Parts: sequence; structure tokens; C-alpha cells
Amino acid sequence: MNDIRHSLLRRDALSAAKEVLYHLDIYFSSQLQNAPLPIVDKGPIELLEEFIFQVPKERNSQPKRLNSLQELQLLEIMCSYFQEQTKDSVRQIIFSALFSPQGNKADDGRMILLGKLVSMAVAVCRVPVLECAASWLQRTPAIYSVRLARAIVDDYCCLVPGSIQTLKQIFSASPRFCCQFITSVTALYDLSSDDLIPPSDLLEMVVSWIFEDPRLILITFLNTPIAANLPIGFLELTPLTGLIRWCVKAPLAYKRKKKASLSNGHLTNKIAKDSATGADKDCHLLYSKLHLSVLQVLMMLQGHLTEKNLYGRLGLVPFDHVVPLVEEINRLSDELNPLNASKEIELALDRLAQALQVAMASGALLCTRDDLRTVCARLPHNNLLQLVISGPVQQATHAALPPGFYPHIHTPPLGYPAHAAHPALPAHPAHPALPAHPVQTFIPGMTFPYRPIR
Amino acid sequence: MSALCDPPGAAPPGPPQNPAHRAHPLLSSQELAQEIKAFLSGVDPVHGNKLTIKEHARCAILLLRSLPPARSAVLEHLRNVFDEYVCTYLLELESSEAGLGARRTQGPNLDDVVQEIQNVLSEFVRMNPKAWAPVVSAWSIDLMGQLSSKYAGRHGVPHASSLNELLQLWMSCKATRTLMDIYTQCLSSMISTCPDACVDALLDTSVQHSPHFDWVVAHIGSSFPNTIISRVLSCGLKDFCVHGAAPVDLLFPTAADKRVPKIASVVGILGHLASRHSDSIKQELLRMFHESLGPVRDQQQKATVPFLLQLAVMSPMLLGTISSELVDSLKPSVLSQLHQHFAALPREDLENMVSIVVHLICQTSAGAYRILQFLVNTAMPASVITTPGLAVHDSVREACDRIIQLLLLNLQKLVYNRGSASLGDAPPRAVPFLDELKGHVRELCVETLRLERKRFLWQHQLLGLLSVYCTPSCATDALFYLLTLARSQEELGLATQLYAVLSSCMSDLLPATVKKCVCQIHTGGLSEQHMVQLFHNLALIVQWEGEGPASMSTQLGTVLSLHLNDLGQLLLHRNPEVAEAASLLLSVCPLPRAIRPAHLLVIIRSAVHQFFLVLHRQCPTGISYSTRLLSRLSGASPAAMKAILQQLVEGALHPGNAELFGGLAKPPAGDDTSLEGTRISLLDINRRFTTAVNFSGSVWSVFH
Repeated sequence: MNDIRHSLLRRDALSAAKEVLYHLDIYFSSQLQNAPLPIVDKGPIELLEEFIFQVPKERNSQPKRLNSLQELQLLEIMCSYFQEQTKDSVRQIIFSALFSPQGNKADDGRMILLGKLVSMAVAVCRVPVLECAASWLQRTPAIYSVRLARAIVDDYCCLVPGSIQTLKQIFSASPRFCCQFITSVTALYDLSSDDLIPPSDLLEMVVSWIFEDPRLILITFLNTPIAANLPIGFLELTPLTGLIRWCVKAPLAYKRKKKASLSNGHLTNKIAKDSATGADKDCHLLYSKLHLSVLQVLMMLQGHLTEKNLYGRLGLVPFDHVVPLVEEINRLSDELNPLNASKEIELALDRLAQALQVAMASGALLCTRDDLRTVCARLPHNNLLQLVISGPVQQATHAALPPGFYPHIHTPPLGYPAHAAHPALPAHPAHPALPAHPVQTFIPGMTFPYRPIR
Repeated sequence: MSALCDPPGAAPPGPPQNPAHRAHPLLSSQELAQEIKAFLSGVDPVHGNKLTIKEHARCAILLLRSLPPARSAVLEHLRNVFDEYVCTYLLELESSEAGLGARRTQGPNLDDVVQEIQNVLSEFVRMNPKAWAPVVSAWSIDLMGQLSSKYAGRHGVPHASSLNELLQLWMSCKATRTLMDIYTQCLSSMISTCPDACVDALLDTSVQHSPHFDWVVAHIGSSFPNTIISRVLSCGLKDFCVHGAAPVDLLFPTAADKRVPKIASVVGILGHLASRHSDSIKQELLRMFHESLGPVRDQQQKATVPFLLQLAVMSPMLLGTISSELVDSLKPSVLSQLHQHFAALPREDLENMVSIVVHLICQTSAGAYRILQFLVNTAMPASVITTPGLAVHDSVREACDRIIQLLLLNLQKLVYNRGSASLGDAPPRAVPFLDELKGHVRELCVETLRLERKRFLWQHQLLGLLSVYCTPSCATDALFYLLTLARSQEELGLATQLYAVLSSCMSDLLPATVKKCVCQIHTGGLSEQHMVQLFHNLALIVQWEGEGPASMSTQLGTVLSLHLNDLGQLLLHRNPEVAEAASLLLSVCPLPRAIRPAHLLVIIRSAVHQFFLVLHRQCPTGISYSTRLLSRLSGASPAAMKAILQQLVEGALHPGNAELFGGLAKPPAGDDTSLEGTRISLLDINRRFTTAVNFSGSVWSVFH
């Protein structure tokens, strides 16, 4: 490694960067012949940091800098390199040596260059780079994956008008990248603030991808050997949770954004307002479409899980992620005046109920109805949700049922005298501890854990 | 011209387009890869020939549209196009100047490519100003800076100091005009949301490429005066805050200039705008000042006053703009806010600031007198007649007191250390504050003579400094006013004190002062009342017990005796009070050894005539002065005594004086009837003509 370094020191920045790739290619190729899974040790990584990311090794040495033209040349060289290296394992190991975050000051440069490389690979359709990037997204902590997603979104959805078409075409070239990309953008744009609402171009593209082939969502899941428990801090195996979050929160988040912009005095002129509401309407249609696709995928999931013998063992929509989602909806609907946003709240809760029901039924969400009840207790009233959390009513007589209890076949209407008798339930809606709107009540005596129907 | 393009969101020139729906043929990835290769190598990948600059630029534009990560490389490359354009343009200019005719042989015409670049960039900025405007504006402004610096030395390019010619040259060059348009578009698209992103770039470039870059600043500044003024100030303040957080190096204050580079360009830019927008600048500075005193205080607000002071130190223009108005707005409430604001500062910083303030006051010219009045008024201890609501806080008063003392000290240093005005030296350093006060000597004297506590001490000291600063005119003026306006012994004391201070460093002060008095009398610059006062005061001083040959009274006597003739003429002044005062002064004034007999005779004739006049008027003080004067004159020489006797006898026998000696007034002759009513004595008038100088405006002047 030291010999290589000395030979590289004499070169100018660009040719040194080229050379270091060349040397490491040889190095890792020979390593791979000896061992199937070579360990990437410090030597090569330090070389890359010094000659590609220009982090000076000696404190007093003047760092060589690539100008933007040279950087573009380097990107072009890297793209060609990954295209021409036929061995997937070598590609993967070089990519990983280049771009795995090391927790040092080179990480910023690493991430910026990675963003440009992937962006370029999208433009010139370099599938090997995209495949490497897909794996990278999967095995890198989510905070970094999200940065790559943002770089790509900035380039193709915000900066260059019309370039979204280029990104859209990637669907046919590298579905695996598309799947990981969706997962990362749903992690990035979680609608928690107005800035984190996905740009409409991005939304439109994601929806069109998924609508074209809903199985896209499951590609990573289907092609990955599944470990028993998923590591924390990484992207999920599927974008399902993120997409459910998008569909459920969208009506409320858009309403909040509209409210904020109105109170800020923006969009005062009528044309802008009209075009904005028009765009919002388009978005609502897209979310409906997306919701449908998500439900379809969830329905498909049961078969795949059974096939992989993971049914009931792997929660693809983790309950831990449902809890914050419900809390956010609760907070949002509190924040928006329920009187003004009743339609939006209704829609959000309908979608939540549908998603929960189908996810539970397909085995993607593993929890009991009791758990759900506790989680959803403070949500505003919604008939469908009420139905879902009370679960299918079983006619079988139950010893646990109190005498005289009549199981409802249809929705038990809430807040009706039938339940007011229950001591734990405050009959008075104006109780200080309760929100102003009616809350989900749980029906006693329905304590069966959910068992999927075979 | 430029004022017309101020409205925000002004559309840039160029054909209207609908960018969102304009069809850009989507390149296949292979085609795009080819284009990248072509762009990077500069060679056509298919035919193998070198790309022309136009083809290369078009290739770059294509990448800008279809390869997002290439944008910085593309922008970098496009700099060459503009550079090439400017180079060609200047060559053509030079050759046409040399009489070779306007040949377009130097290079390809790049007009269309420049236009295409503008189109694509302005489309991007329009589509997403938030993302593109900062990038594109920084690029265009930096490129303008680079170009103006690079070609500054060229033959056809006017010198950086002739701003208008420079502006004309660059604005008639399409490349630079396009860059200017692009920047203008960026700025106007961001003006309502966040113009700082664009203005920051302007400041940075200004630091780097001034003065060749000044034409850009001037143009943009006059296109968006209000935005530029307020944003430039706010960016400067932000920068000042960041750098100001570091401990200030008191030992090497010059290092501050390097530490805070942006403030220099803030000063430069505002300097450009001052000629036409000084009102806006003033308003903005005052607004910053007053806002900084508000109750909600962040770091930036705290740094505002030091920032403004620093600006004023660096730019006399800004100081002049703001100083007088600022003083007017310093009401007691504002002052106490200011006091609260700085009460928490460490002592060192405060000292530092006070010395800056004092320095600035010394540098103030316009409104200097107002500032002085403000300081003195504020520093005066509250009295029973002060309106309770208007009284200032004690500590504010003390601070003002301190500032005045330091100011006087500082002025003293400046005045006495100005260096000698010998030939080899540079002209003595000007002190604008004192220069401005020159015109207010009279007011200062009037104020001083009021003898109000403390105040008159400061003002008296200031008069002394002023006198030394612009000697001799101010010194004589000040003494003259004090001598004329003093109405009591105590007030007159101020004049003698001032003289005592000045006489040590000025010779011939007293002769000059007396000469000034005489000149004023002769030119009619003094009212009769003031003349009376002046003569009484002078007489008083002459009569004071002299402490020695150097004392003022002795010297004044000597100097006055040189002007006996001038004073003697006033004995027959038509105003009896003036005549009386003149006779008093002459009666106490020592007579010189050698006096010209002609002069003496004139004085004697006037004195005797005046004597008979006061006898007529039966005015006891007048009679006593006249008597004293005659007896003194008679002692001057035997001839004088004889002349006096002769005159007295002659006077006694004159029919007009008959009634003084118990006789009857002779009835006027018959042919004098027409003049009887006016009781004009021909003799009287004639006498006056031989003595007084001021004989214009009367019919009798014809005969003399």
C-alpha cells in the first residue's frame, strides 16, 4: 500500500484518483481469488480518502483539489469502471470501500461524491452502479441512505426541469435500485413538516412505478436472505411502512401546509391559489392510487411470507412503527381544528383503518387487537377504525362474557347508552382529560389475539 | 435609466418562453454518454475533430439540461465563453480605435451562444428560484468580478476611477450585460423571500475585485437601491457579528481591517449609493440603530451600535450622513435605552467605544454645532426648571460629561500636536469639528457669556482651542465678540482669561483684535449700542490695575493709543451715547509720546465740540468724561494746551453757545427759515465731515 501511495503522491489530483482505482481493482481482485469474502482493511480506505476524497494525510501538506471539471471526469471514469468490471463481487467491494461511511471527516466528501456518481449513473443508465447503490442503501445506516436519496431528489425533482423523466426510466433498468430508492425517500419525506412533503414530481413518479408493477415494493424483501431480527437504524426491507405513512398522513399534512401558507399571506393572488389547489387535487388522486397499490401489495404479501416460511414471524410493517404513526395522526388532527378538517381527518383515519386491517390480515403487522386498541384510544372517532380494532365479532358463546351481554354484529355505536353503563368509561364527553372530539372506545370482553385465517 | 428597472420580479429580457412545456428531446443514455465525452475532451467523438468554442458551449448547455451532477462543471466551462467574448470585444474596440475599421475577423460571433446560455439559466431560475438563484447569482457575479479585474489593465478599458465610462463600456458588451441581466433576475426573484443569498455573493466579490468591480455594484445598487442598502447592511452586520465574537485586539487595531473584510465592501458599496440615495441610507442606518435598542435582544442587535460606529469610522461620508439626524433622535428615552444597553458591557469595551465616539465627533463637520449643543445640554446637571419627563438619567448625564471632557482633551491634542507648518511638512491635519465651529464663534461667545454652570467652562475652553486651531482669525473674532458683548465685570473676565490663554502662544493678538474692532466700527458692522458697550469694556480693562508691562490692561492701552485718530473721529458721532463712550475711552487711554500734530488738532477740535454738546445736553457723566479728556489732552503738549484754550474761547463766543453762559439764543436769520424747523446746524455738519468717515448717503457728500 505504501509503494502505491508514494507513486501516487507524484501525480496530479485527477490522474492519482484514476490510478488509485486501478491499483485497488487489482488488489481486491487478487484478494477475492484467495478468500470469498475479503475484509476491507484500513490501507485501501486510507488511500481512497487521500486520493479520491482529497483528505490530506500529513497535516502540513497542501491538499490537491479537483476542480469541477476534473471531478466530472473522475465521475465519468468511475462510471465506466463499474460498467466494465464484470465481476459483481469486485464491484461491490470497491463500491463499499469507496462509499461506506467511516465516521470520519471524509464522510461529507464521500456522500457528496456518491450523490453525484449515482446521479450520473441515473442519467447515463449505468446499471452496475445503480445495483451497487441499491446494496449500499440497504447496508448503510439510514441517516446516510437518506442523504443519498436527497441528493438524487434534488437533482432530478428540484433542480433540472424535466429531468424527472430520466429518473423515471430507471424503473426498467434497475428495479432493485428503484425499490431501495422508494424506501429511502419515504424515510426522508415523512411529512412531519411542510418541507418534508414529497415534491409532486417525486410522488407522481413513485406512484406510477408502483402502479405499473406493485411487486416493485417487495423486490428487496424477496431477494434478500432474511435475518431473524432486523437491525435497527437501517432502512426497512420494504417501503411499506413509509408508503402507509404517506397515504395516511397526506390529507392532514397538505391541509396543514395550506393553512400555514394562507396565514402567511402567500398565494394571495387568485391564479396562484387556483393552481396550487389544482396541484393539491392531483396529489390527492395520486395518494388514493398509491393507497390502493399498497393495499394490493399487502394482500400479495401473505403468499410470499408463507413461501419463505416467515408467516407470523416477520413483521414487515413493524408494530413499533405503527405506534408513532398513530401518535402523529393524533397530534396533527389536534393541531388542525377538527371542525375545519373533519373531511381530512376522516380520510386519514379511513386509510389507517384499511391499512391496519389488511396488514394484520396478511401477516405483515403482528399485534393483538388489544395493542391496537390501546394505541388508537385517543384518536378521533371513526367508524371504520372502530370496526377494525374491535375485530370480527364471533358468535361463539364465551364463558368470559358477562351474562346479558349481547355481542354486536354490526358496528357498536359509540358513546351510546349501551356502553355508558361501563364504569371505566366516562359518560360525559366534557371530561377534562378527554379531547373535545369523541374518542375510540374499546369494547370489553373482546380479548382474543388475532389469528390469521389459514 | 436604472431606476426604471427597480420593480421586483422584473422580467429579464429575452423572448418569452414556456419552459415547462418546451420539448427538450430526451437523449438516450448512449447519446448522453457521447456528449459527456465530447464535453470533457473537447473533441467530437464521431468525427474526431476539435469542437469549436460554440459547439463546446452548446454541448455544455445540453449537459446542463440533462446531466444534473454536471452543473458546476458546466458553469465553470461557460466562463470561458464569456471570457472569450469579452476578449474579442475589446480587441475589436482597440482595432476600430486604431482606425482599422470595425472588422469582425478576430473570432466567431458568440452572440447567439451567450443568448442561449442566458435563456437556459433564466429558465432554471424562473422554475426554481430557491435552488438556482443563489448558485447562478454567485456564478454570474463572480464571473463579472473576474472579467473586470482581468481586463482592467487593457488599453480600451477606462480606469477604475471613471465609473461612468467603465459602466458604459461593460454594459455595451453583450457578455457582461447578459451576466448583469442574469444576476438582476436572480436578485429580483429572491427579493421578496431571501435576497441575502444573492447579496452575500455581491459582497464577497466586491471584497475580492474592488475597485474594478465597482461598476457592477453601482449598477445593481442603483437598480435596487432599497434592497441593496438594507441587505448590504444586514449582511455586513452578520459578518461583523461572526468576526466580532473574537476578542478585539486592542494592541493591533489595524488587524481589525483584515479580520472584517466585508465591512470594507459595505462601506464601498454604500459610498457608491450615497450620491443619489443618501436619504435611504440615512433612514436605514437610523432604523437599524433604533431597532437595535428594542427589548428583544439577540447577538446581532447587540452588535449593531459597535457596527455602526465602525462603519462611521471607516466612511466619513456615512458619518456625515447620519450624525446630525442621529443627534436629533437621541431623546431622553432613547438615551436611557442606550444606557441600559451598554451598562453590562465590560469596562474595556466601553472605553474603547467612548474613544471611538470622541474620535467620530472630532471628524464630524456638518452639524458639529448641533452635536456640541446636544452634548452640553445633556451633560448639564438637572435644574429645578427642567421638565421632569425630559430629564435624563444621571448616569447618562455623567457619560455625556465624560465624553465632553474627553472630546476637549482630544481636541487639545489635535490642536497642539498639529506640527509646524514649515515648508517640508504636510499641511497640518484638519479637524472637521473645529472647522465647522469656525462659523459659530459668535454663538459660542454668546453662550459662554451666559455663565451657566459648567457649560461656560467647556465652551470657554473650546473657544480657546478654536482660536488656536485657526489662528488668528478665530482668536480675534472670539476676543472681539467677548469684548463687545460682555455686559458686566464678570463677563468681561472671560475675555481677559481667553487672552491670557492665547497670548502665550500668539503674538500680536491684541493689536489684531483692536484693529478688528476698529474695522468693524468703520464698516458699520457694529450697532451703536454695541459700540458703546465695547468702548466701556475697553475703558474698563485699561483702567484695571495692571500687574505688569505684560498685562492686558497695559498692553491694551498701548495698542489703543495707536488708534487715537480713529477713535477721535467718533467723538462727534451723531449718537450722543457713542460720542460719550468714545470720550471715556480716550480719556483713560494713554497718549503716545509722538503724536502727529494734525491728528492731535483734529481730536482736540472734536473734543471741544463734544464738550459744548454735552454741556448743551446737561449730561453729568458726559461732562465728566469730556472734562477728563480735555485735561488729559492739554497735558499732551504746550501746543495742545494752546489749541484747547483757543477752541474753548472760540466756542464760548459762538452765538450758538450763548445760552450756556446765560445769554439768549439768537433768533435765526431770515433766509434760514427753511432750515429752521429741522434745526440743523451747518457748522455741526461741517465739523462732522472733517472727522467722521461715514459720509455716504447725505447731500453734503457732494462737496467733500
